[in-house]
Amino acid sequence: MDEIEQTNVEQNDVLNVGYTDVPGTMLTESNAICDFIKKTKIQDVLNWGRKNSLWFTVNAMGCCGVELLATGMAHYDTDRFGIIPRNSPRHADVLIISGYVTRKYLPALKRIWDQMPAPKWCICFGDCAISGGPFYESYSTRQNIEDYFPVDVYVPGCPPRCEALIQAFVELQKKIEAKKDKGTEY
Amino acid sequence: MDANSIISSLTGKFPEDIYDASVESDIRIVAKVKPENVVEVCRYLKEDLSFGHLCCELGADYPDRNEIETVYIIGSYDHPVVITMKALLPRDNPEIESIVAVYWNANWYERETYEMYGVKYLNHPDLKPLLLPEELHGEWPWRKDYKGFPNKTARNLV
Repeated sequence: MDEIEQTNVEQNDVLNVGYTDVPGTMLTESNAICDFIKKTKIQDVLNWGRKNSLWFTVNAMGCCGVELLATGMAHYDTDRFGIIPRNSPRHADVLIISGYVTRKYLPALKRIWDQMPAPKWCICFGDCAISGGPFYESYSTRQNIEDYFPVDVYVPGCPPRCEALIQAFVELQKKIEAKKDKGTEY
Repeated sequence: MDANSIISSLTGKFPEDIYDASVESDIRIVAKVKPENVVEVCRYLKEDLSFGHLCCELGADYPDRNEIETVYIIGSYDHPVVITMKALLPRDNPEIESIVAVYWNANWYERETYEMYGVKYLNHPDLKPLLLPEELHGEWPWRKDYKGFPNKTARNLV
């Protein structure tokens, strides 16, 4: 858990930078503007933009990671949905958990999740990410991943096909459009 | 050298330390070794009998016999023979001399056996957990009486 504490400290350091030094900027500590926008039609426009630019992290954790990589290749052309693989979590909107989460890997995965800028979404890809798969009841596997990440879409399969991942992205787009996703608090 | 002559060479050199030696097939030798002198036996195997390839080193837990076995599987490039040596250790305090001084690649094998079974290797250069996170250290998850398996039902299954 030391990794997570370290991430929190780093985030606080980022927040404590004096933005008031920049001329022409105002600093507010309330969410009033953001909450007001969420009730208006502007949020629909924002969501339209967000759902059409779902960039995902190339975080291949297991054998499902091969399907994840293949989805990002030219053959499936996911760019027509606005889905682009990104190598840095700081550029990405969607974290795809594509394998079993071990006790040792969970802090690193949380760190990746914390590095992604909001709004962000999470997809569980494959049986291992959903339930542990064949590694369910292992001494080193973490079960119930939704306790740690707000998972929007589950994709069953061992491994699921690339089309299933594209389908998951389309479902996620529908959720975002309907304001039912867990990435944003409405 | 064939399997029988290797066994006679080993038992002739170490009559006290090697026991229960037998030929499993034409290319496999099984023997048990006293834990105190495993380094000398390995050094003799490597330098005099040209068994230069430590294929694997592992542990095995036998709760009914109250023993933990450390198994050395050693191959050779000169003889068509693979030796499986077993050292029996008491289960409550398994300690054995490290063979990193003879076979350098035993380093990570011994670290893994240490973290999974709790076999303490004396004079190991860097005996710390290899794969497991810190929170699992000291639980010895590959022992048969390990109880720490997760019992939470994954909610997605039901």
